[in-house]
Amino acid sequence: PLLCPFPPSAPAALRSLPPAVTGGVLHATRPLHTSKQHLAPLPPLPEKGGEVRHGLIPEEFFQFLYPKTGVTGPYMFGTGLILYFLSKEIYVVNHETVAAACILAVIIYGVKKFGPDVAAFADKLNEEKLAKAEAVKNESIQGLEAAIEQEKKEQWRVEGRSYLFDAKRNNIAMLLEANYRERLLTVYNEVKKRLDYQVAMQNLKRQKEQDHMIQWVEKSVVQSITPQQQKDSIAKCILDLKALSKTAQATA
Amino acid sequence: MAGRRAAIKAIDWAAFAERVPPSQRPMFNALKTRSDALSARLAALPEKPPAIDWAYYKSAVAKAGMVDEFQKKFSALKIPEPVDTQTSKINAQEQEAAKSAAEYVQASKARIAQYEQELQKLKSMIPFEQMTLEDFHEAFPETRLDKEKYPYWPHKPIADL
Repeated sequence: PLLCPFPPSAPAALRSLPPAVTGGVLHATRPLHTSKQHLAPLPPLPEKGGEVRHGLIPEEFFQFLYPKTGVTGPYMFGTGLILYFLSKEIYVVNHETVAAACILAVIIYGVKKFGPDVAAFADKLNEEKLAKAEAVKNESIQGLEAAIEQEKKEQWRVEGRSYLFDAKRNNIAMLLEANYRERLLTVYNEVKKRLDYQVAMQNLKRQKEQDHMIQWVEKSVVQSITPQQQKDSIAKCILDLKALSKTAQATA
Repeated sequence: MAGRRAAIKAIDWAAFAERVPPSQRPMFNALKTRSDALSARLAALPEKPPAIDWAYYKSAVAKAGMVDEFQKKFSALKIPEPVDTQTSKINAQEQEAAKSAAEYVQASKARIAQYEQELQKLKSMIPFEQMTLEDFHEAFPETRLDKEKYPYWPHKPIADL
């Protein structure tokens, strides 16, 4: 059906064939011109042609004769016809008959032996064509679906643009706040530094004065020790030492 | 001090990261590092500087009136808040982005409609087994052989075979 070289060119209304069946079909009661023009897709063409017996005679002929003559009727008719042709010499037996018989025998033998294989091969070719077309169609469907998904995703992404601007504004706010706090801190530090400097200066001055005074007092005291006082203090020390040594000797 | 702090909105960085297309990832990372650096800097600074202990200084510093003068000037000092010059620009950018985003979404929707149409056509096709060559050419017009342009078999340029 796909690569049928003779597509029916009749209008759609005439193509009211029965639906396709994969077996042979008896077309005896095929309805024609029975319905109005549908606008629906046509039913598909039948897969196989009409059934034949012995490769030549359509089944309809046998069915036609069956009611009157039963099963053997058509065969009797055929035999009678052949004998009539032979006996009346309507068909003359000559050398070509022999040739025809041989040729037919070879042909029938060839077809019966290799027929199915050739048919399978041809069917495979057709299958491949169909599979390729099907694959292309499926790929396009998948591609389109993926593209739709992608577009939807991109739209979703675009919705998130508010994040960017919030982030930027946040950055700005943080920067301003940080600057402000830095300024406060700087002011505080500066003032504190100055006050601390004053305090430290004072402490240092006080310290220096203290040290100087202590030194001066020490110096004047040392200077005021007269030689007389020195002698007295040394004598006192000696006396103390003697007393101590006495007590020490006593205990030891 | 009213109006000092523009509210810092909490940003869901994870959700933001999801929406960034891979081509703009470096820009996003740069923005994030900058943001993080700024917030770290902000967090490191105390909100208010500690108060200066004037009583101690008044008792400690001998120079008359110096501490008082400092105190007076210090409390009178008004530190100017940094002026915000960029937010209006950001807002303008946001408006523009909204507009271009709307356009993009429009175009995207048109594309989606087109894809949907083709998808519909492909899905509602009859199966190949039941097609004739005519039906095939109807479904895929590009396969039709141009018999006017190339009147002789194979009806297409030899190079296309």
